[in-house]
Amino acid sequence: MQADSMKSGQASAPVELDGRMGEGGGQVLRSALTLSLCSGRPVQIQHIRAGRRRPGLMRQHLACVRAALAVSGGGAQGAELGSSELLFQPGPVRCGDYRFEVGSAGSAALVLQTVLLPLLLAEEASQVRVVGGTHNAWAPPYEFLQHSFLPQLARMGAAVELVLERIGFYPAGGGILCAKIPALQSAESTTQPLQLLDRGAALDSQALIQGAHLPARVYDREWEAMSRILGWEESQRCDQAHKNSLGPGNCIHAILRFAEVTEVVTSFGARNRSSNQVGADVAHQAQQFLQSKAAVGRRLADQLLLPMALLQGGEFHTTQPSQHTLTNAEVIHAFHPGLVQMLEVETDLWKISVQPSRTTILK
Amino acid sequence: MNPVRKTVVFSLYGTSLDRSLQTDGKPDPERWSRWRPTLSLCQQADFVPDRLEVITQSKFRQQCDALLEDVASASPETHTRRHLVPMRDPWDFSDVYAALRDFAEAYPFDEDEEDYYVHITTGTHVAQICLFLLAETRHLPARLIQTSPPRARRRDPSQPGTIAIIDLDLSRYDQLAARFQERRRTGTSFLKEGIETRSPAYNALIERIEQVATASAAPILLTGATGVGKTRLARRIYELKKQQAASSSTLGSFIEVNCATLRGDGAMSALFGHEKGAFTGAAERRAGLLSAADQGVLFLDEIGELGMDEQAMLLRAIEDGVFLPMGSDRPQHSRFQLIAGSNRDLHAAVAAGRFREDLLARIDLWSFELPSLKDRIEDLEPNLEYELARHTKSAGRKVSFNREARQRFLEFAAAPSSTWNANFRDFASAVTRMATLAASDRIHLELVEEEIGRLRQAWDRVPQAGSSRPDPLIPDLLSKLDHDLDHFDLVQLAEVLRICSGSASMSAAGRALFAVSRQRKTSRNDSDRLKKYLARFGLDWAAVHS
Repeated sequence: MQADSMKSGQASAPVELDGRMGEGGGQVLRSALTLSLCSGRPVQIQHIRAGRRRPGLMRQHLACVRAALAVSGGGAQGAELGSSELLFQPGPVRCGDYRFEVGSAGSAALVLQTVLLPLLLAEEASQVRVVGGTHNAWAPPYEFLQHSFLPQLARMGAAVELVLERIGFYPAGGGILCAKIPALQSAESTTQPLQLLDRGAALDSQALIQGAHLPARVYDREWEAMSRILGWEESQRCDQAHKNSLGPGNCIHAILRFAEVTEVVTSFGARNRSSNQVGADVAHQAQQFLQSKAAVGRRLADQLLLPMALLQGGEFHTTQPSQHTLTNAEVIHAFHPGLVQMLEVETDLWKISVQPSRTTILK
Repeated sequence: MNPVRKTVVFSLYGTSLDRSLQTDGKPDPERWSRWRPTLSLCQQADFVPDRLEVITQSKFRQQCDALLEDVASASPETHTRRHLVPMRDPWDFSDVYAALRDFAEAYPFDEDEEDYYVHITTGTHVAQICLFLLAETRHLPARLIQTSPPRARRRDPSQPGTIAIIDLDLSRYDQLAARFQERRRTGTSFLKEGIETRSPAYNALIERIEQVATASAAPILLTGATGVGKTRLARRIYELKKQQAASSSTLGSFIEVNCATLRGDGAMSALFGHEKGAFTGAAERRAGLLSAADQGVLFLDEIGELGMDEQAMLLRAIEDGVFLPMGSDRPQHSRFQLIAGSNRDLHAAVAAGRFREDLLARIDLWSFELPSLKDRIEDLEPNLEYELARHTKSAGRKVSFNREARQRFLEFAAAPSSTWNANFRDFASAVTRMATLAASDRIHLELVEEEIGRLRQAWDRVPQAGSSRPDPLIPDLLSKLDHDLDHFDLVQLAEVLRICSGSASMSAAGRALFAVSRQRKTSRNDSDRLKKYLARFGLDWAAVHS
């Protein structure tokens, strides 16, 4: 099965994408690499990050291309810093024990995200260790993946185990994420469509304040600002001081648990932001989710499209789709037209349905 | 995936800017909130060093290692190396320059695989100038890279700031290069005089000549084709002796004469002098060159041109230190070291009866053959530097090549088709011409092409010994052939190409080449036959006829 689809994949013309679509950044590249690896079809992206101040591939994007090459032994043209065009030819995805490194400006999670789904479709289980930043403002932090995204992936039939071996804040980096990725031998028997129209009953919510090499007052101030707005109790507070972190850093998460879904929102401390601002910011994000009827928050929504398309599809309710969500839908459609449907069912409540693609390696 | 060139950055460890804050002997996490230039090189989104070569001194070793640890975590893609380069005084120009240059010379550059950058934001002002000079002279074949802290004050100081790459070899930086001209002049004052030759054979030869020149006052014979630098070397030997003499007053003068310019009575008189009234027109007594060279060095170039009488007198002068001026019976005394130059085979001249065997035996004791330019291709670059420096000295302004121009000229110089008939003399003239014509003190590609045309024309005009008028195109074409040819084929092909280049059209060439078959009517289409012949060597009419 695998060999056949690869053969047809190599013979086919590359899927062409315009890097300016949707959000216009690295998302197009990462989703395209993932889909290319899963379908065996080459992909050609032009105008990569064309509208950005520094256009073209940056190191964090290159790290994703390298990871995609490493897991498939494929080839790429234009895989250079500043390149505005990339032709990626995937090889067959191979399971294995991988280690990737990315500079602190890039995110370990985004590299992992690029190869996670393809490795699910490999013949045996894999382990991926990514060294780099695990907690920075431009990518989903570990807590989001662990509490929000992976449980939904598990519901679709893919139980990925993710461990934060060391936290890596910007700019020092040096964080380590380690993922154990099972192999889904047969989609039919082990995977199922995702049904997430309701978030279900509210369970306990928690504030997680993470820091490294910081004075205790930072944790207190952030908590005070956050709990004042949300009216949370001291028992909901959890502080984590990461003594093994190479550099200093801080962030605060609100982990909002429901019977069917967990939402994680995060705010990052920075030199030019007061602890009050950071605490208030995360509280406002939490309020936004709590006040909406959507089962799925903005960030989780864009993360769910690809696994749904590659596995058994499904549907969920969310708020107004973000640029990232629209971009992912557009990239999916370049490979598999018509899979994603978005419907506004009432004010700020959207229903997104995804048909399973029948052309992945898995099929 | 095509192999990607590696990015390698050299950086001096900045003892204040790059320094990690310490608390109780441990690195302070606050260090991440400070802008550290060398670290920031490795934190850019659009620039990733594959290797970072950090230069420091042993007393800063630990601080430097702390920095490298931070680089390793912030930029796991970057491999770091620390180099301990001792500098007694980082503000002393010659100290710093020598140390950095030694480092650069020992570094195994691989320009085919790697791109080099040298970071000029850290280090003392003096070190920055030295790095600039080393980059400009291509001792460090690197582009300059500068880092700047994050600009706006409101922005996060832990941000890496920006980088700027300055490529001195690109024409658009001519102005910048010109601005550094002033500083460079002071910089060159301590640079070693002479040429940094790389040819091992030549270097060994020079070493031996120096040994002989300092240890012995015996005659030295320098042979070699015209323009290989015999005169220059003779003068250098004299200067060496002068340096080593206890005081400069104990060594006499350096007297040089080309024997080809000495003819008839004038030759005798010029060399050995004459008494008043020795011959018609000898109104005053003349001392002669041998006397002038007393206690010094006499360089007789083209000694093979000397007449037989002069040879006999010279032999006596060398052996006994005495000779007779014309018209005098009082022997003159002069003790000098003879350096003879010749571009002729003196043994052949002896066999032909034009040169005295005993004189040759006397001057042949220390005989050195100087290689021609084509045997010292590796010395083209240092000679180019030398000639440019010489021009700088004499013209008072520094002229330099831009990268494309320099590369083109060196490629042309090393090409087998460049005959360099007058060796380094041609080479020096070429550089002088280009330097003189260089507008805004920068030699551009057009100027180089113009000079190449001039040289080709000159070499074309002068017939080379042993060959009919060569077309410079032919050796060029032959050297570009894909496969090696038997001599048998080579000779034929060369002649075919010669006919082609001298013919107006392919059919004219065909007629000339196949004249006999044509008469016998065995060949109908000469052009086609020629075309097929050329095709066998991967050539066509356009290529052989320009």
